[in-house]
Amino acid sequence: MITLNWWALAPALIPAAGLILVLVLDALLPGRRRLPLAVGVLALLGAAASAVPGAIGSADTPARTLCLPASSGTGATGGECFWQAGPLSSTLQLSLLLATLAALLMMRDTRGPAAPEATSRGSETAIDVTLLLGSAAGGVAVAAAHDLGTWLVALELATLPVIALVARRGTRRAGHGSLSLLVTSLLSFALLVVGVALWLVATGDPTWSGAAVATAWADPARRAVLLVAVLALLAGIGFKLSAVPFHAWTPPAFAGAPLPVTALLAAASKIAAVAALVAMLTPFVGLAASGTHPHVLAFALGTLAVASMLVGTVVALRAGDIVRLLAWSTIAQGGWVLLPLIGLSTAGLRACAGYVMTYAAASLLAFAALSAVRRTASGEPGAVRELAAYRGLARSDPHVGGPLLLAMVTFAGLPPGILGLATKVVALASVIGAGLWPLAVVAVIAVVLGIAAYLRVVAVLLADPEPARAGRVVLAGGGTLWVLAAGTALLVVAGFVPQVLYGLT
Amino acid sequence: MNPQVLIFTMVFAAIAGLLLKRWHAAARAVAVGTSGFTAIAAADAMARATDQQTLGWLVPGLDLGPVSLPLDLGTSRATAAVAFAVALVAAAVQVYSTWYLRDDDRYPTFAATVSLFTAAMLLLVHSHDLVLTLIGWEVMGWCSYLLIGHWSRKPSARRAAYKAFLVTRVADIGFVLGTVGLIAGAGTSSLEGVIAAWGGAPTCDPLGQCTGPDSVLRAILLTLLVVGVLGKSAQVPFQDWLPDAMEGPTPASALIHAATMVAAGTVVLAALFPVFAQAESARWVLGVSTAITMLLAALLALGQSDLKRLLAWSTVSQVAIMLSALASAPAADGPDAGLFHLWSHALFKSLLFLSLGLLGVVAGGTAASLLRGVGTRSRLGRWTFLIGLLSLAGVPFLVGGLSKEHVLAEVYAGAMNRGPGLFVLCSLLATVVVTAAYSTRAFLVIAQTANDEEPAADAASTDAQPNRTDAVRRQGRGPASAVLVTLALLTLIGGLVLVLDLFTLHEASWIWLAVTVVLISVGCGLAFALGRSGDPGVRCAGRHGHRFDTGFGADTAYRALARAVVALARGVAFLDTEVIDGFVRGSAVAARVSGGRLDRAHRAERPRNGAWLVVAGLLALLALGVFAWR
Repeated sequence: MITLNWWALAPALIPAAGLILVLVLDALLPGRRRLPLAVGVLALLGAAASAVPGAIGSADTPARTLCLPASSGTGATGGECFWQAGPLSSTLQLSLLLATLAALLMMRDTRGPAAPEATSRGSETAIDVTLLLGSAAGGVAVAAAHDLGTWLVALELATLPVIALVARRGTRRAGHGSLSLLVTSLLSFALLVVGVALWLVATGDPTWSGAAVATAWADPARRAVLLVAVLALLAGIGFKLSAVPFHAWTPPAFAGAPLPVTALLAAASKIAAVAALVAMLTPFVGLAASGTHPHVLAFALGTLAVASMLVGTVVALRAGDIVRLLAWSTIAQGGWVLLPLIGLSTAGLRACAGYVMTYAAASLLAFAALSAVRRTASGEPGAVRELAAYRGLARSDPHVGGPLLLAMVTFAGLPPGILGLATKVVALASVIGAGLWPLAVVAVIAVVLGIAAYLRVVAVLLADPEPARAGRVVLAGGGTLWVLAAGTALLVVAGFVPQVLYGLT
Repeated sequence: MNPQVLIFTMVFAAIAGLLLKRWHAAARAVAVGTSGFTAIAAADAMARATDQQTLGWLVPGLDLGPVSLPLDLGTSRATAAVAFAVALVAAAVQVYSTWYLRDDDRYPTFAATVSLFTAAMLLLVHSHDLVLTLIGWEVMGWCSYLLIGHWSRKPSARRAAYKAFLVTRVADIGFVLGTVGLIAGAGTSSLEGVIAAWGGAPTCDPLGQCTGPDSVLRAILLTLLVVGVLGKSAQVPFQDWLPDAMEGPTPASALIHAATMVAAGTVVLAALFPVFAQAESARWVLGVSTAITMLLAALLALGQSDLKRLLAWSTVSQVAIMLSALASAPAADGPDAGLFHLWSHALFKSLLFLSLGLLGVVAGGTAASLLRGVGTRSRLGRWTFLIGLLSLAGVPFLVGGLSKEHVLAEVYAGAMNRGPGLFVLCSLLATVVVTAAYSTRAFLVIAQTANDEEPAADAASTDAQPNRTDAVRRQGRGPASAVLVTLALLTLIGGLVLVLDLFTLHEASWIWLAVTVVLISVGCGLAFALGRSGDPGVRCAGRHGHRFDTGFGADTAYRALARAVVALARGVAFLDTEVIDGFVRGSAVAARVSGGRLDRAHRAERPRNGAWLVVAGLLALLALGVFAWR
């Protein structure tokens, strides 16, 4: 008989329950717009609250549930739990839920007139909230899933609703973006399935078990299978992280989706991908600590990281459309997220999680700021895409331009974006700690290029606002303002005490 | 009286003077009051000076791990005497300036700068910490720039200020490096600590393991320090800034020359004498430079067409005499002969400058041709100037004569030892003759009545104070006259300071006294012989007068050096902008181009391409796995 601890499962169950509630309410009381939003906000807040105890708990006693009885197993798997949420996982869950909440708040403000008129707007909102909650539940489950099956399903649950959200605007660009996303996603799902299957073949264990990996790695024949499995899994997750060369979907999807969905893609999906990666790499951390360093895996991670950092930054340097610029910046930051993992150490995992959370906060801030800018007072929110139109925004509208500026300097890792600097330093520290100097040198080159790319935007934001003022109207709704205020406060406060971020993880 | 009181009174005076910039009368009261108080306090301190070096706290010390900065002050008999000389000259200058700069619209700034200057010098004199020494040293450099350039509307004054600043800054490189090296080696900036760490000879055990200071490093550090001293004291090769500094107001010149800036090097080296005496090569550098300087400057003084510049060169020469005592005195004798000469030089040189200022105002300039016969128009100026000149020439029993005797005795003692003593002694004896000659010449210029030998038109005066009527000149002259009389009296009887036993000196020998009397007579006789009909300086210099005025082309040499440095800097800048920046710009271009290429490659954004990329990526990863297999 399997044990069941409802509290441990709450971060995933509450969004799922909220999802069902929204569907039921929409069926019973159709056309209400506020109701689904309220349910969604409450569900996400509740789930986030339930993840807090795990996040501040001790690493030695992770919340476990869905455990097999110790006697019924076949020795190695005896007493194995399929749901394990340590502080690292819980922190990732917490930040994922908050990121989804931010996207929901932005969505509340930016349902523009471009939505199809065929269905009532209330149901539109209900569908959006349903999809969001589904994706959040999937992301949360990925972070805690300890068995291959749950992990695989939860990862797809986190991805597929987002594809629907991208497509739902119904424009040509949205269709184009979602098609790119869908095709790549299907391919990578295939890779993940193959990877999982091979993993099972190699280790004979359906969980992310360190002991089983160690045994398989010791046997040369099984090691080869395990290695192929890991590389296939890495390729599958690389799609979600938009690491080069699995990145091709990112610019069209970012540009085609409404900005709240783009923010979701940039923030929550990234966190889910990191959660999946952390689950997969944890057994190898144990392996590396025991003296047999899996060099091939580190080499593959390093290649992806370097390619992403360089390609993403270099193209961002040339982008003229600010959303595309942010898309390419996402690709570059994906490389930075992978970078600290190369050492395959616990500190590296923490550095990776800290980096992705900082990046998520900054990109939410950036997209929230973009969604407050319109062409005309009644125009579609976030429709202003060309960089030149943002000239002087930080001076004419500091409540919107300021956060955008802060996000850019955080991406670049320059003060006053101290948190961006601190996370970059920590990421580099784990690379240097592993003695991989060439990678550190490439990363420094990427930092320099990145400064050039982001300072381009900063310079535009700080220029004289007069010439561009006629082309834009800045209208931030209540939800967006909340996101802007909370995100700025988070980045500034955590910038002064960056150790909080690493104390939490 | 604590040295802190002296220093902080002058700092307060500087700040108050700047705050009272608008109210000349109040600024005057503050400047005279504080400097007078400081002079009296310093006199009190001198009268009660004890042999023991008391350590006072200026501010809480700092402990910076490997180096501790105690920031101590201290006094001894000799420093109390020097501090009194500084405070006295400062007070004299302040009182005198109330008359001399009565019409100057920037008088309060001038008075405040003089106060700050005095504070810096008092800090330097009392410093028992090399960091405080460095602070006093730098503040003085800055203040001298301000004072020399006081009449900043004159281009020549601006140039002189720049020149003084640049030349002393260049030499200060050595001073700062030397100081920092000494502090780093000792692990503390306190004077006692530095002397304990660097003084004494290394002791070696039979196996060749040596403990104690590294004598090579010590020689290098002290030579660097000496370079800084040479710059501040205007010794060869840095000598040329001081005569140009005559562009400043005469009271400022009196202050800079008599007791502060140029004498600072003597004070610093005297404080570090136990270490300095061990560093043979640094002593050689100082000895050779001062030996050359004292004779060269005395010769240049003889041929100057402007009496103020004559006094400037005489300062260079006299400071060289002070420093030569330090360069050649035996280690056991201590530096007090040099300090005593500093003390007496402070008195008679301030007297000379201030009385020349008076004569200059009467004559309308300080060019020798303008001053001709001015002594008949101002008896006070004539007599005070004469007393100053007698002391400068080293007439026995005047204060200047006494101190020069002691320097001579000390240099002779040094000449009997190793070191540069013999070389210095020869130069010193020659200098005594030339000094007597140019002193006589200066007196003859003001005493002889004008004849029409030289037209006054070509006289270029450095210190012209135009449009001053006699009435204005006489207004408020009382205090200035009192200052002159006081300084003249002190110059006459200042030798009595030896009764207080402030300086540790040997008996002056009667033989040397006789020798100097003979030498001085020779110098005077020469000057009289040349000056029977007109200015002996003009006779001596002949048609090379302008060479004397330009210091034998030192300024041209400086400019050539500056041009060479600028050319080198241009070369380095060219390397930087064209060669090194080329790589930087190239990398920027490479980034832009590759960004553009990649951007174009992604422009189609077909889902199919993305799918192919995924497949390619997977294959690449697998290939990596195969090739990197171990």
